[in-house]
Amino acid sequence: MYDIKPLEETWKQYHKNKRKPYFLGALGLSILFIVGGVFFNAKNVSLPQLSMNSTGKFIKTTQMNESNVLLDGALSQIQLRKIDKIEQIKPVVKMHIDTNIEETMPTLPLVNDIPILDKEPIKKKQIHTKAKMKIISEKPRKKMHLNIIESSSVSAYKDVERRFIESHDTDDSLFLAKSYYRKGNYKKSEFWSLQTNKVNSHIEESWMIFAQSKIKLGHINEAIQVLKSYVKHSNSQKAKELLYRLRKN
Amino acid sequence: MKSRYEAAKNVFVDSIDIDDYIELSSSVTAYKQLEHSMEKPLKMILLFGRPGTGKSILLNRLQEKLKHQKEIHYFDTPATNEKEFFHKLFKVLTKQDLPHNTEVNFSALVNFCKNLRGKREILILLDEAQMYGTEMMEKIRLISDSRAVKFVVSLHKTDDEDLIAKEHFQSRIWEVIELKNATQSDQTAYIHKKLLKKNLFEIANSIKEKDMKLIHTFTKGNFRECNKLIFTIFEICEYYDKNEPSKINYEHIPKRIIEMAALKLGYIHV
Repeated sequence: MYDIKPLEETWKQYHKNKRKPYFLGALGLSILFIVGGVFFNAKNVSLPQLSMNSTGKFIKTTQMNESNVLLDGALSQIQLRKIDKIEQIKPVVKMHIDTNIEETMPTLPLVNDIPILDKEPIKKKQIHTKAKMKIISEKPRKKMHLNIIESSSVSAYKDVERRFIESHDTDDSLFLAKSYYRKGNYKKSEFWSLQTNKVNSHIEESWMIFAQSKIKLGHINEAIQVLKSYVKHSNSQKAKELLYRLRKN
Repeated sequence: MKSRYEAAKNVFVDSIDIDDYIELSSSVTAYKQLEHSMEKPLKMILLFGRPGTGKSILLNRLQEKLKHQKEIHYFDTPATNEKEFFHKLFKVLTKQDLPHNTEVNFSALVNFCKNLRGKREILILLDEAQMYGTEMMEKIRLISDSRAVKFVVSLHKTDDEDLIAKEHFQSRIWEVIELKNATQSDQTAYIHKKLLKKNLFEIANSIKEKDMKLIHTFTKGNFRECNKLIFTIFEICEYYDKNEPSKINYEHIPKRIIEMAALKLGYIHV
């Protein structure tokens, strides 16, 4: 009988070597899965980050005097006053793009103005009621101005609504209120401005849209009540003005 | 105390003992083929195969089975020289010993054989014929031409011997029977039958189908290699049974032990 111990040791070594490729394979697969998982997550996370970055580059400045227009529109609807001229909607989105691009692309097709992709606050607003939605570029400046009025995509609105339900971000609800008001869907604009007020009761614009939607829907007394109540705790000049006009007419 | 594996181990000691002969489907076919060829008026039959495919034991069995019916002689050990071979042949043919200080005259031997035609039919089984030189083989052919002596020549199949078989025998050999390595099922039957022949049922049952597959992989179906491997497996089992019984499973021979035996015999390497 030969000594079995060295044979056992040899077998252990053999067994170890035999299992090595399986270990390596398993390790490789694990690494692959981890890398894949990280990459997948990074991709998911990076979408909004990218969009934020892009908005960082594409600084968006919308100049709107929306409340005036909305006010005028509301008043004209109930024919309290005749307005000589309806201003053109000139919502301007200023985007910092490479100058070369600006030169080669003076106008761009319609772009959806959806805050999903834009976390930057709207700085300036300027509305001109020219029904055609187009992109206006300001010439000499090294910025591209995009006139983005509304989204052509129904699903985009749905996305914003869904997101508001999750986040209660007043930017989203206010966007929806304004958009629906512009589209003439006053029921929805009333609803979304109310949602905005519920979350933050200090947004003047939202209160104005709420009141104006009520006016459009023919609920004048309710609008007056809303404005009175808002003026009482905010002393808003715009609300006062609208209230004054309503009472006068 | 005697280990149960000791008896099992001894079953696989390599030998060409006719009592150890195991009838397998492949060996039965080869045997019948050989028996049938010998009935034909052929002069030389070549039994061909790699070492350990069972050529010797087949010739042995043939002689054992036909010794009462035919004049059959089995030359298991090759003669070291021509003189020794013709001495043996002379004794077979004349049934007498060669007188002291005399040598066989080959021409006279051939003539003697020619005279035997129709009177006697002598069958000579030449094992390990690769040991004979070309000249010797040529003389054997001349004797077989007498038609009184028929040769069954067993040759190892290696690259060189293939050449001999091709060049030397191609025109002279009338029938070639090739023995091949066993299939897995044949080898399984071989191992089981060998153990059951010695009433080692439990041990036979402890070698499972997947173990048989592994054994076949290591030995490539070669009977001699199989004997060696199984012997070593049982030797290791015997050691554990006597010294470290906790390391052995009597219901099932561990794969580890089979691999250890294969490592020891060099079928696998670290």
